[in-house]
Amino acid sequence: MTRYIIRRLLQGIPLLFIISVVLFALMMSVGDPVATMGGRRVTRADDYERLKRQLGLDKPIYVQYIYWLAGNTWTKTDLNGDGIAETPGKRLGILRGDFGISLVDRMPVMQVIGERIPNTLILMLAGELIVILGALIVGVYSAIRQYSVLDHVLTALSFIGYSMPIFFIALISMFVFSVLFKKWGLPYLPTVGMFDPQAGKTITQVIYHMILPVISMSVVSLASYSRYIRSTMLDVLNQDYIRTARSKGLPRRSVIFVHALKNASLPIATIVGLDLPFLLGGAVVTERIFAWPGMGRLFLDHVNRADTPVVMGSLMLVAVAVIIFQIITDVVYAWLDPRIRYD
Amino acid sequence: MIKKSVSYTLFAIFMAASLVLSGCAGKVATQVAGGDTPPMPPTTFPATNVPATTVPEKKVATLIFTQEFDNLSPLYSDMWFVWTTWQMFDHWAWEFDSNNEPFPVLVTEIPSVANGGVNADGTVITMHLRKDIKWSDNVPMTAEDFIFTWQMAVSPQNTVSTTYPYDVISTVEAPDPQTVVVTFSEPFAPWLANLWHGILPAHILSPIYQADGTIDNAEWIKKPTVGCGPYNFAEWETASFARFVRNDNYWGTPAKIDEIFIRFVPDDASQTAALKAGDADMGTFIAYSDVPGLQDAGLKIVIEPSGYNEFMFFTLNPEKNNPALQDVRVRKAIALAINRDGINTDLHFGLTKTPASFWDALPYYNNPALSPYPFDPAQAKSLLDAAGWIDSDGDGIRDKDGVKLEISHATTIREDRQDVQAVMQQDLADVGIKLDVNPVDDTLFFASYADNGPAARGEFDIQEWSDGPLFPDPDIYYWLCDQIPTDASPVGDNWFYICDEQLDSLIKLQSTQVDPIARQATISQINQLFYDKVYIIGMWQDPDVYALGSRLQNVKFSGVTMFYNIAEWDLVP
Repeated sequence: MTRYIIRRLLQGIPLLFIISVVLFALMMSVGDPVATMGGRRVTRADDYERLKRQLGLDKPIYVQYIYWLAGNTWTKTDLNGDGIAETPGKRLGILRGDFGISLVDRMPVMQVIGERIPNTLILMLAGELIVILGALIVGVYSAIRQYSVLDHVLTALSFIGYSMPIFFIALISMFVFSVLFKKWGLPYLPTVGMFDPQAGKTITQVIYHMILPVISMSVVSLASYSRYIRSTMLDVLNQDYIRTARSKGLPRRSVIFVHALKNASLPIATIVGLDLPFLLGGAVVTERIFAWPGMGRLFLDHVNRADTPVVMGSLMLVAVAVIIFQIITDVVYAWLDPRIRYD
Repeated sequence: MIKKSVSYTLFAIFMAASLVLSGCAGKVATQVAGGDTPPMPPTTFPATNVPATTVPEKKVATLIFTQEFDNLSPLYSDMWFVWTTWQMFDHWAWEFDSNNEPFPVLVTEIPSVANGGVNADGTVITMHLRKDIKWSDNVPMTAEDFIFTWQMAVSPQNTVSTTYPYDVISTVEAPDPQTVVVTFSEPFAPWLANLWHGILPAHILSPIYQADGTIDNAEWIKKPTVGCGPYNFAEWETASFARFVRNDNYWGTPAKIDEIFIRFVPDDASQTAALKAGDADMGTFIAYSDVPGLQDAGLKIVIEPSGYNEFMFFTLNPEKNNPALQDVRVRKAIALAINRDGINTDLHFGLTKTPASFWDALPYYNNPALSPYPFDPAQAKSLLDAAGWIDSDGDGIRDKDGVKLEISHATTIREDRQDVQAVMQQDLADVGIKLDVNPVDDTLFFASYADNGPAARGEFDIQEWSDGPLFPDPDIYYWLCDQIPTDASPVGDNWFYICDEQLDSLIKLQSTQVDPIARQATISQINQLFYDKVYIIGMWQDPDVYALGSRLQNVKFSGVTMFYNIAEWDLVP
């Protein structure tokens, strides 16, 4: 298993390199970050040329990529536009842990991202936890009580939940639990932000502001995951070894949760494993609607401004997380099913 | 292994917690609200228990911004949302009031020829600073701060957003700590509107520049904890809010409001919801479509001219653009064919008017005032007929010498612009002109000539965006002949490819005329030239639109230094 993990990690290196090249090339086509730096007015031509030079955006794309990857401390740049490169480069490059400077904020990319990751993890982990727990409960019950009234109701709700786009759920929940509840004189939920600035960033405030975004994010995933679990549980419950376990007189709970659920979880483990790395990417739509200061909103805001360093930093972070969590998923898979061997 | 009863219990606890927290937080939300908060009942104390002093309730205002600042430095951003905050914690040497007239702030008087502050040929400006100005850390502001600001603006080590107009200055000197002498190599008429937009604290930033060779990474750029305005910067929670507190060391009249929060919301809908719910005292850049609803909710709408207007600019590159546009009769026909007043009435709820002049917000320079070309499709058709453009094949599109009268139009993807494009297409189709509309993302649209930016390359016959002179100065530079970009010289702002010798000489002349009367006459000639030759078509005024909650009092806005009287703002229950 150890050799397998090391082999997978090493395989990830060229994969990350290819991903970075593709993403960098795509980012160069998104737009010109300097074009809109003039604020309400078109950037003056003189300022445009100067900023392109100072930010290193006047270089050919492959040079910009090399600087992003390996830095430019080994070369000099022409900052004052006199045609003579006299200023030593200061960038270390991503290989040396320097993700660069945001073209918009002029702050280190890791600082920009670092401020948002905790906010995203709070939201996404809470949502994922609710989805997994809720899906397990609903899926297992539906499988055990197949074709019961509650199973039909849960099935219908699952299809409704799965069919609705997230933004629709978000707006409806905002309208009902915030606008209408306030109108009716009921306790109502906030619509934007992570906390009330005047109340401060307390645990209570954060949880309170999380309710609507988490509900919005969870509905669709909970609906789909519960269907997966129901389907795999039904498949497993009809297996011979389950019949054997029952005929041996094992308690019902033991049959369902030890023998059946463990085997039915293999596909779920794969799906959850694929989902986990994207927690870092945040929920773009949800964070936008609820003004949650997370990675999704960061990504959207900076893509709109063609801020290549921040977008590349976010995407590479997700790419690394995908590779690592894929390995973790494989390990968990092997743990769940002892028949699986990778060596 | 999770027991069913345990999972049910956990789920029930979560639902109960949600409801309990809803109840608790409802109280928090209503504390923030403005007009919805019921008045506190009067409290009386027994005579023996009267407290010696009572602590008045803190006055806290909340403003909504639909865009978060990039930073808070006067040199590093041209964002409107950054400019607007400067009057909170920093000052311009002189600022502009609600009539966009200048008044001295950091200087004893605004330099002029009459008071000797401007020399005869307009190349030397002498400013006398007030002696009582100090930074919030009690360090006096002196001429050295002005010299440092200039040096930082033009330093190639700093990635400032613009070096203009500091790059046209020859020297900035301080014969004494309270006097600043600015020397230009040539007369520079636009100095009053463009110089000294926020001063940098040399005692804070100079050591950083000496150590790092740049102030790009100085914490002050993002967190200006030392300022000279009525408020001090307190904190900035990224993507959430920024907080400013009253500067108790302020050299001027103390601010009345104790704290100001600026909350960042992602879009107009969130802003409108917050304003209607009473969760904010002021909104910015209100969409016209939201105005009626906000007024019904009891908010006051304030419209302040910003100097910007939405224009259609004709691109007249004979090698690339439709040759029909070289004929002024065709350009005039287009102006007559579009119902711009109808657009302003129907799409902008009558809140904007059609501008006739590039200087629509500067009446002094729009003299004599011009009237926009009226909506007159019949006259438009006559002009096109006279120009030889007729529909020879009956397809509804005019043609001449085998060339169809198909005009390409481009603008950004902003929703209101796309709505207007659809209206214009129909209006022009009614007179036999086909309009090909091209919405383009703004980071692509405004890319440079070297980066194949379509606007810079003059790819489209008509290009549309919001623009204006260097308000409140009437200066313009776009239409200079030497500003046309080429492969050999890709740097240039004349994206209209218009080289009009008369226009060129007038534009150059006005930028050197320090005498306002002479300059007014020159600008008037330019105005008339634009009108007669129809180089531009004014679509709608583009003012700053604010929504004010009922708590906020004494608020005035300027189109230049927007929050110029923020120290006088007050909150009433």
